[in-house]
Amino acid sequence: MNRWTTLGVSVLVVLALGMGGLPAAAQDPIKIGFFAPLTGFAAADGASARHSAEIAVEEINAAGGLRGRSVELVVYDDRHNSNEAVALANKLVERDRVVGVVSGSYSMPSRVTAPIFARAGVPMVVGYAVHPDVTKAGSCIFRNGYLGQVEGGAAAESAVTRQKARRIAVLTVDNDFGRVTSAAFIERARRLGAEIVSEQVFKLGEKEFGPYLTRLQGQPLDLIFHTSYYNEGAQIVRKARELGLTAALEGTEGIDSPKFLELAGPAAEGVTFTTNLNRDDPRPEVQSFLKKYQAKAGVGADMVGASTYDAVKILAHGIQEGGTEARAICQAIANLRDYPAVTGRIVRFTKGEVTKPVQVQIVRDGKIRSFATIDNPEVITPPVQ
Amino acid sequence: MLAQQLVNGLTVGSLYALMALGLTMVYGVLRVLHIAHAAVFTLGAYAGLAGFGLTGSFWLALAAAMLAAVAAGLAMERWVYWPLLGQPPIATLIASIGLFIGLEEVYRIVAGPQPYAFQVPLGLGDVRLGPVLVTAPQLLVMLVTAVLLGALWLFLTHTALGLALRAVSQDRDMAAACAMNVRTVVRLNFALGSALAGAAGMLVGIYYNSVSPTMGDIAGYKGLAIIVLGGLGSIPGTVLGGLVVGVAETLLIGIVEVPFPRDAWAFLAMIAVFLLRPQGLLGR
Repeated sequence: MNRWTTLGVSVLVVLALGMGGLPAAAQDPIKIGFFAPLTGFAAADGASARHSAEIAVEEINAAGGLRGRSVELVVYDDRHNSNEAVALANKLVERDRVVGVVSGSYSMPSRVTAPIFARAGVPMVVGYAVHPDVTKAGSCIFRNGYLGQVEGGAAAESAVTRQKARRIAVLTVDNDFGRVTSAAFIERARRLGAEIVSEQVFKLGEKEFGPYLTRLQGQPLDLIFHTSYYNEGAQIVRKARELGLTAALEGTEGIDSPKFLELAGPAAEGVTFTTNLNRDDPRPEVQSFLKKYQAKAGVGADMVGASTYDAVKILAHGIQEGGTEARAICQAIANLRDYPAVTGRIVRFTKGEVTKPVQVQIVRDGKIRSFATIDNPEVITPPVQ
Repeated sequence: MLAQQLVNGLTVGSLYALMALGLTMVYGVLRVLHIAHAAVFTLGAYAGLAGFGLTGSFWLALAAAMLAAVAAGLAMERWVYWPLLGQPPIATLIASIGLFIGLEEVYRIVAGPQPYAFQVPLGLGDVRLGPVLVTAPQLLVMLVTAVLLGALWLFLTHTALGLALRAVSQDRDMAAACAMNVRTVVRLNFALGSALAGAAGMLVGIYYNSVSPTMGDIAGYKGLAIIVLGGLGSIPGTVLGGLVVGVAETLLIGIVEVPFPRDAWAFLAMIAVFLLRPQGLLGR
């Protein structure tokens, strides 16, 4: 009896190994660290980042893993709290001994953890955090999203060159992202011949835009450019339409979310925004990701998710090409040329900053569609020396 | 533009007043700062949203919001504030803060962290008074606030219960000595204040088309500044305080354009009141 049991177990084990079909089963998986704000006010973005990172890892493992080893995502919640972020960064380095790290988080957690990973020699790929200091912490930190300067410049191209706006008002959210992006927008818009008739700053979390937008009533205005996130962005467009302002409304990747459409309601119609995810991109990698995300999350994909997905894939590419040694991974990512990311073809990384076209999307019939692609090298090349 | 900004300010101010009334009423009878009142406000928004989803009627949804808020307010009185009465005020304050944080997390776990849209066909049109535009949502907020405040005023000044409520608020011990059932009055107080907060929560949800677990944060701390400004425990003072803060913030942003966060103004006003007129605008 006992013997039969042993035999049965052995058969099961062999079957299990056979079905897994991976030689990797004999080896430890490659660990990739991951953090995002899974709880707290930013939890919706955290969830999007996590779903997308998991999709990327599932795809990698389904295709046989990296260098014959499976990949394991080590997930932590930074709660958008710098103490939490520092603690988890140390855990990823010392306890989990990850081969590389992906940030699916905002600027603040990415910025405080970058020096820790840099010191420990752990390669880092940042999905969408915008603060310029993130990539300055070390030579092996790469950013898949645009710098604010690039996005602002591209938004100005879209506003002035494509939408022919001559008189523009600017509403800026009072943080690094807003300030840098709006400054770049204003500079480029002026250079292209537009007039900035109003510059106003509001604080993050502002809900009441009546006072700001009432100031814009009764003067000729072609376009209102706002750096905002979906909560504020939705309030801006609703209030603008409520007050009867007819100017075009252009936002940034901050409003790239199905939530924006929901909160803004009918006022979202015709709104344009700069982002890196083009839903109408016919490339199979894009359409496949959009489909998988919809299936996994139950809602449409957003910029945060797509960027984080790409960040995992970029790190995985580095490991596949270079191995598990940090320097080789960095070299492999730095050598990337014309890489087909979901968020656009990456021309290259320069000092960790990406060069790729900027997408402009528009809301039409309640759906996010393609409006324009800004690929003017003068605009999309990151300002790094 | 000044008139238009006044309309903007009065709308926001109405919402502040509705929210802060419960705070000042509870302070009036129990002398505690009811921080968790902001969680009652948020509950009203969620209950209104659920009620509207189920019934499709604005008025039934408003009733649901107010009823849920009353239930929550009474439960807090029963299990937190009344048992802690007689403890040092700091104990009640800490319990109240804990309750607020805990409830926000409950909302997040139950409803999810992301905001919900709250779209209600209002059946109201925009109103144009010369150059001034009062939008349909603004009209709704001001009308509902006026009706609720009017009802509260009638209740307080024309009913025996209202009189009892004012008596307990003036001197709890003396009211008890006059054989009033203080506990009943305290409960009534929580019920009324919570109902107003529930209505405010739902109106804020509709006005901004957004209901989220943390929507009570700003309303909560600004409410404190408003009741101090108006005179702690003073009901007319709180209404005035809410309107003053709403209008002042709006004008400061909309006309003067001071590079200063709007939420700071309420607190500057509060500090000024503490220094110059500690009893508040209409306090005794």
